[in-house]
Amino acid sequence: MVLPKDLVAASATPIILALLKKGDSYGYEIIGKVREVSDDHIAWTDGMLYPVLHRMEGAGFIESYWKQSDSGRKRKYYHITDAGMAEYEILRSQWFVVHRALQILEDAPQEHIHV
Amino acid sequence: MFDLESQLRIWKSHMVSLGSIGFEDVQELENHLRDTIEDLVARGLGEEEAFLLAVKRLGDASSVQEEFRKVSTEDLWLQLLVRSDSPALRRRDRSELVFVIGLALLGGLLAKIPALFGFGDIDAHGMIYLRNAGIFACFPVALYFMRKRSLPMWRSVAALTVFMAYATIVNVYPSFEPHHTAMLGAVHAPILFLYLLMYFYGGPDVAPRGEKKSYNGWRSANTRLNFIRFAGESFIYGVLIGLGGIVLILLTMGTFSLVGIDVEFFVNDWMVPMGLFGILPVAAYLVDKKKSLIESIAPVLAKIFTPLFLMVLVSLVVAFMMNSLAPGDNRMMLIWFDLVLAVVLGLALYVMSSKDPSHGVSLWDHLTLALIIVAIIVDMIAFTGLLARFFSGGFTANKSAALGENILLLGNLVMMAFGYVRYMYCKRSFQDIVVMQMRYLDLYALWAIVVIVLFPPIFSFR
Repeated sequence: MVLPKDLVAASATPIILALLKKGDSYGYEIIGKVREVSDDHIAWTDGMLYPVLHRMEGAGFIESYWKQSDSGRKRKYYHITDAGMAEYEILRSQWFVVHRALQILEDAPQEHIHV
Repeated sequence: MFDLESQLRIWKSHMVSLGSIGFEDVQELENHLRDTIEDLVARGLGEEEAFLLAVKRLGDASSVQEEFRKVSTEDLWLQLLVRSDSPALRRRDRSELVFVIGLALLGGLLAKIPALFGFGDIDAHGMIYLRNAGIFACFPVALYFMRKRSLPMWRSVAALTVFMAYATIVNVYPSFEPHHTAMLGAVHAPILFLYLLMYFYGGPDVAPRGEKKSYNGWRSANTRLNFIRFAGESFIYGVLIGLGGIVLILLTMGTFSLVGIDVEFFVNDWMVPMGLFGILPVAAYLVDKKKSLIESIAPVLAKIFTPLFLMVLVSLVVAFMMNSLAPGDNRMMLIWFDLVLAVVLGLALYVMSSKDPSHGVSLWDHLTLALIIVAIIVDMIAFTGLLARFFSGGFTANKSAALGENILLLGNLVMMAFGYVRYMYCKRSFQDIVVMQMRYLDLYALWAIVVIVLFPPIFSFR
């Protein structure tokens, strides 16, 4: 199953924020983890992640810093800000509204929908 | 044989050449590539396949660039709110264009001010035009950056008063035959104005909240290096536009003479000054707008001429060894050597501006260092030869100016040579040279002020 482009674009910000909430990370790791948690269904074009990260940084949701990793390579790490936390809460509740609406429609018996 | 490092370097310079990706961003993408390659190699792929696959996964260069371009515009919030092809953005572009055309006209109109005071004849009052040319050309560019960078109003006005101060001084100072001090002032004005434009280009030093040091004001070494790059590109654009202008003028004169109308008056009084002083703001606008298109022309030119110049200077040293310095006009000789040093400095600056510090010592560093050292040797030989003759004749304005320039340029090149040696052989960072060089620019501005303000009274306005 491949997600349509619009859905991928719209979900990128909340997913990245949720991931960074768990701890600071860098681009390559972020892509790997997202692929992992979505069973490979969310596969971003690698190069597209960075502009998204930079845009989020510009908006103040995340901050970046360079850090030497264990392998000796200097990596750009991203850290979620307070504004990012707040944004995440908003986005999460928005997605939750969609999710719940789908859920209710799914569970409801036929006649209730035709009211 | 596949060499990963060289392939990565080519990929990197390709990304950079497309523009709109900053150095740091490319670094980040490169790390990503390396991570991917490592993973793929660990899974049993060859380095070459891993590299190709990693690049493919990164997405095609132009669309990644496109995404970056959206991020790197200065008005980030606009990108968040509206699409880049929105009418609001188009309107903004259009209003900027109108502003630039207005500035180009302003430059030309400023050049008509002397005519208001009865000095309309350029041939008869050439000195007045020469002394004020810097203002006509640079004032509109300063205004352009004021708007473009949204500089704080009162600071900009304070900086603009330098133009007023200059105008007052050069026009109030008397000038007697043979007008040497006045000429010197006119020659040094561009140095002062370039320095001033550097302020408008970089904006004031305003530290971001919570930080003591500011990183992007006009004092920062990197901003200054960017400005030097900008100035070089503007010059090239200016020359190109000027060539077009000459064709336009020749065609105008030629075709109107066919129908028996003499347009010489119009061409001399309006077309030439309007064109001449309108070039700079337009060139500045184009450089700022089309950053990615020919960004690297000035460094490329510098790289073409660095080895050629080195050969000329080396043969000059050989010639010095075989012949003694011919007797002649000491001042003119010194001016020639000043020019040599200035050109060498320019070449070194532009080679410097295109250097990627992460690459380590390259062939160009060796060539630049060789060029600087040979230039220093040439100048030292000439200098010692001239010095004895020099003091015998007493000091005139021109001599003093040429001497001062020589000392200033020589000091600069010596410091640069030291910087390169320390960078290449003592593992100091390249940034040290950049910082030193960019601070040294202050001295040139200071010297220009001395020549413009103090020389006329010292040498009794002759």
